[in-house]
Amino acid sequence: QTLSALQEEQSRLKMRLQELQQLKREHKGSPQIQLPFSVPEIPLVFRGHTQQDRKVPKSLISNLRICCPLPAGSALITFDDPKVAERVLQKKEHVIDMEECRLRVQVQPLELPMVTTIQVSSQMRGQGVLVSGFPASLKLNEEELLDKLEIFFGKTKNGGGDVETRELLQGSVMLGFVKDEVAQRLCQTGQFRVPLGGLQVPLTVSPYMSGEIQKAEVRFQPVSHSVLVFNIPDVLDGPELHDILEIHFQKPTRGGGEVEALTVVSPGQRGLAVFTSETC
Amino acid sequence: MAADEDNKNQVLKENWPNEVMKDEQNEGLIGEITKENIQLKEEIQKLEAELQETARAFQIKEDLPETKIKFSLAETPENDNQFSNVSCSFQVNSKVTYKLQKGHALITFEEEEVAQNVIRMRKHLVQIDNVDVEVIAQPVPLNSGVKFQVHVEVSKMKIKVTGIPDELPEDQMRDKLELSFSKSRNGGGEVEWVEYDRPSGSAVISFVEMGVADKILKRRDYPLTINRSCHRVLVSPYVEEHLKKYQVFSGLSKRTVLLTGMEDIHLDEEMVEDLISIHFQRGKNGGGEVDVVKCALYQPHIVYFEEETDVI
Repeated sequence: QTLSALQEEQSRLKMRLQELQQLKREHKGSPQIQLPFSVPEIPLVFRGHTQQDRKVPKSLISNLRICCPLPAGSALITFDDPKVAERVLQKKEHVIDMEECRLRVQVQPLELPMVTTIQVSSQMRGQGVLVSGFPASLKLNEEELLDKLEIFFGKTKNGGGDVETRELLQGSVMLGFVKDEVAQRLCQTGQFRVPLGGLQVPLTVSPYMSGEIQKAEVRFQPVSHSVLVFNIPDVLDGPELHDILEIHFQKPTRGGGEVEALTVVSPGQRGLAVFTSETC
Repeated sequence: MAADEDNKNQVLKENWPNEVMKDEQNEGLIGEITKENIQLKEEIQKLEAELQETARAFQIKEDLPETKIKFSLAETPENDNQFSNVSCSFQVNSKVTYKLQKGHALITFEEEEVAQNVIRMRKHLVQIDNVDVEVIAQPVPLNSGVKFQVHVEVSKMKIKVTGIPDELPEDQMRDKLELSFSKSRNGGGEVEWVEYDRPSGSAVISFVEMGVADKILKRRDYPLTINRSCHRVLVSPYVEEHLKKYQVFSGLSKRTVLLTGMEDIHLDEEMVEDLISIHFQRGKNGGGEVDVVKCALYQPHIVYFEEETDVI
């Protein structure tokens, strides 16, 4: 019994060694990432882009979202034409005529942080595992799925332990454990049948490669179409103030022009402006 | 009955030396295999560590394209943290590079089924310059790639100070920083806390009031008074960056097919691409609607594979 078990283990170890030696050979000729374990597959397609196309970046950037808090007693005005915004900003102070009084307000450009260069490195994360192999037919929402996985892999009888972090990725889930040895133990086992949505689902557990920002360069970029109006005196309520500002900043005689959007943050209030990329 | 027992004992006695020998042989074999297995495990661990080290060294360095930004909508902040930071987040999907060798071509079909059918058929006779060329269709062996979200937060309450001279003990310097940065005549304001790192000559200063940090950052440097002498220290935004949903993935090409066997063709690449496209567009050749064809007839090309769901 012991002898056959040892022989079985030996053939398994020899196969693993051959796999790794093959990976090492492949790695020598390839600048790309090669891993000593399997990772989830993601469908890719060739769309005709080559390295000769100077305009094609090596990465695709999407879902850009910038959130900028707006102070109390301010307004964000977005013009159709960036030249209008430029003109409005030439005067640091604008005087808005009203029936009974004049409103003095200041204007300034809005500059937002943009990452221009990023350098990221990959490393093995001792406490982390990647759980993959979920069937497409699985009818569980993110929270339900993460809860069920945490329950299963949190149990010592399943080889698990205390889960510290969890994150849903594309077609897989990252689980971070408090103790390194839990992750190692689960990776050694590799295959599990996990009860999910009334089914026993076969899942694969492999080591998790985490990423770390080595360097990021952030540059402040002005929003070409928008202007921040601030220090608005507390004399009018929101809707009235909105109309008065729009009327003033639409007048070409005041350097204004067609207003695309106007957001007012009344004194004592808080606002948040969300920006996205123009191509989104 | 007794005779039977005697016979049994006799047989056992005769076989006993063989059994002992067999056990000894087994033990020797077990010891040998155990030893070999330990060596194998050590080799595997060493190789895994090597490969993981190489993986650790894997880096993606990207100069991000300039993006024009526009106002999208106004929201009410969900928490105070949202109000004390300008946050920027975006998704990065690395394109996977593939070296298209000389004499090879890539063809992308509109339908996955068509591509898989072309691969299943494997051999295709394509007429190129009035000659039937045997082209082999196979899946594209792709490398791994990475995708992740970048989250950057620029504080509206804190600033970073660098170039602090090493002239005072830590506690004293912390006080001097607080005193200097709370002077309203220099654009300062009430300081909530100071985090001073003596070895790097830098500090992080957090203000109580919103707007103080912005005011200070309008200037590049700031006066720091130490024992009646005035030093100019550099001020910059306090930025925190982190990654979310970091994922290493293996590329799988379902709609793009690798075509080999064109090593002896010396024609214009574009012309050959058209001929390949015409051949594989025909249903009778097992093909269907073609999206794109790329040939490498004179030298290898480095091409990019992108995620299926991405719209450019």
